[in-house]
Amino acid sequence: MEEAVNATGRKDIKLNMALAALVAALGVLSLTVGPAALSPRAVLAALIDGDGIPGIIVRDIRLPRTLLAGLIGATFGLAGAALQGLLRNPLAEPALFGAPQAAAAGAALVIAFGLAGATSFAVPLAGIAGTLLAIGSLLAIAGRRASLTVTMLAGLALASLAGAAIALILNLAPNPHVALEIAFWLLGSLQDRSYDHLVIAVPFLIASWVMLGMNAGAFRALTLGEDAAASLGVDIERTRRAVVVGVAFGVGAAVAVAGSIGFVGLVAPHLVRRMVGSDPARVMLPAALTGAALLMAADIGVRLVPGPVEIKLGVVTALVGVPFFLAMIFSERRMLEGNPAS
Amino acid sequence: MTMGAPPLLEAHAVTVALGGAPVVQHANLALRAGELVALVGPNGAGKTTLMRALAGLLTATGDIDIGGRELSELTPRERARAIAYLPQGHVFHWPMEVAAVVALGRHPHADAFSGLSQVDREAVSRAMAATATEEFTGRRVTTLSGGERARVALARALATEARVLLADEPTASLDPRHQLVVMDLLRQAARKGGAVLAILHDLTLAARFADRVMVMDRGYIVADGPAGDALSPARIAQVFGVDAVSIDTGEGFVPIARHPL
Repeated sequence: MEEAVNATGRKDIKLNMALAALVAALGVLSLTVGPAALSPRAVLAALIDGDGIPGIIVRDIRLPRTLLAGLIGATFGLAGAALQGLLRNPLAEPALFGAPQAAAAGAALVIAFGLAGATSFAVPLAGIAGTLLAIGSLLAIAGRRASLTVTMLAGLALASLAGAAIALILNLAPNPHVALEIAFWLLGSLQDRSYDHLVIAVPFLIASWVMLGMNAGAFRALTLGEDAAASLGVDIERTRRAVVVGVAFGVGAAVAVAGSIGFVGLVAPHLVRRMVGSDPARVMLPAALTGAALLMAADIGVRLVPGPVEIKLGVVTALVGVPFFLAMIFSERRMLEGNPAS
Repeated sequence: MTMGAPPLLEAHAVTVALGGAPVVQHANLALRAGELVALVGPNGAGKTTLMRALAGLLTATGDIDIGGRELSELTPRERARAIAYLPQGHVFHWPMEVAAVVALGRHPHADAFSGLSQVDREAVSRAMAATATEEFTGRRVTTLSGGERARVALARALATEARVLLADEPTASLDPRHQLVVMDLLRQAARKGGAVLAILHDLTLAARFADRVMVMDRGYIVADGPAGDALSPARIAQVFGVDAVSIDTGEGFVPIARHPL
C-alpha cells in the first residue's frame, strides 16, 4: 500500500517533468519560428541581449505570443479538468457550455462600441462577466443532480445564445471596419500580441489557477458523488462557486486577448487521464501542462503552414478538437446511453 | 455494550421537511459505542432523510449531539472526522485505483496540500485488511463486481475511523454471501468501539445482526428495541402490510415475511 502510494508520487513527478520539458522545448521552437529566419543561436542571443532587429523580433513579437500560448493553453487544460472534476464527466469542456462564446460576446461588446481600447482591462473584465453569466446559468439550469443530457442541452442553448449575441453586436456595430476586426478576432489568434495583452490577462489567469487548483481535493472526493463528498467535509456549494468563478476568470481573460479558442480543455485532460489513474486531482497539473503544449504546438503549426493569410488558432483547435470530441462520444457511447451523470 | 457511557450520537425531536412537507417527525434516538443498530421501514418512511440529517447533510430542527457537541456547531471537517456516511449505491464516477478510493476516507484528516501521512496510510491499510480488499489495491474500481465494490465502498467509509458509521442500504443488490459479509463487517466495526446505524430492507438480516432495531413509518420512529419486540409479526403487519411469522433459528427469533396483507 505504502509502496504503491510512493510509486504513484514518483510516476506523477516523472510525467509532469516530461511534460514541462516538452513545453520548454516547444517554447524554444516557438521563438525560432516566423517569417524572419533566425538561427536558434541568434534567437538565444537576441533573447538575452535584446539587440537590434532580432532583439525586437524575438523579445517583442515572438516571446509574448509564446508566453500567451503557453499560459492560455494551461488555463484551458486546467479549466477543462476542473469542470470535468466538478461534473464528474470527461466530456465537460468550457466551449461546450458556451463559455468562450459568452466571453467573446462580452469582449466584442466593449470593443465594437468603443467603450475601451483593445488592451484595456475592460476587455478581460467584460469577457469574465460574459463567462460568469454562461457557466453560472448552466449550473443553475442544470441544478445539482442534472443528467449529462440536461447539462449538454443547456450548454448548447447558452452557446447558441452567445453566438446570437455576437451576431447582434456585429450587426449593430457602428463601424464596419470594427465589425470585420471583431469577426477576425473571434476566430482566435495570438498573432501580433504584445506585452500589453500579457499584462491584462495574466493576473486573471493566475487567479483562475489558484481558485481551480485549491479544489483539487474536492474533485477527488466528488468521485463518490455529492453526498459522500459532503460527508467527507467538502463544501459542495463553495466548490461549485469556485469553479464557476475560476473558469470565468481563466476563459474570460484568455478569450479577451486571444479570441475564441475551444476544445483544449476537452483534449488535454483526456490525453493524460489514464496516466494518473483517472484521479481528478492528480490530472490537473498534467492537464495544464498538456494544454500549454497543445496550444503552443498549434500556434507553431499555424505559422508553419505556407499561405498569404495565417490560419487562425481557434480554427485549428476546433478542427482538431471536434473530431476528437466525436471520437470520445463514440468510445463512451455505452456510458452515455446507460448512465446519468448524477 | 456500555450503557453507562454517554451515547456517541444522540438526537432529540429531530424534524426534517423537504420541499415544505415533513419527512421526518420528532425523531429521538441514541447510538452507543459497540452497537450495530438497524433502521428499517417501508419505502418513503423517511429512513434516508433521517440518516442524511444525522450525517449533517440536511438542515433539521431539533438537537443532534455528537460526543457532547451540537452537530451544527461542528465545522464540516470536524463533522466528517466524527461521522462516516456510506450512501446508497456504491457510486464511483471515475475508474480510480482501489487504494486511491479507500484513501478518500482520509480526506477529513489530510490537509489540502500534503499527501497521506503515516497515520493515514495505516488507517487505509487497516480498512483494506478488515474488508479483505488488499487484493484489489491496484485495480480500477470500475472493473470490480458489485460485491467487491460494496466492500471497497465500506473500506472507504471505515478508513475515516470515525466513531459513528451511518450506512444507507449497504447490502442492497448484493448476493446472499456478500450481504452476510457486509453485515459481519459492520458488526465488527461496532465491536471495535464504534456505533453503526444501517438502513436495511431485509428484516431477517436486521433481526440476525443488529443489537437493536428501529422501525420507521411515515416519518415517525414507531419502535426502537431488540429485534424480537421491534419486529414482532403484529408490528410488521401494521407497518409493512405484510403477514409475517417469527421463527426460532436457535440463535434467536427472526421474522419471515410470507405474503402481503
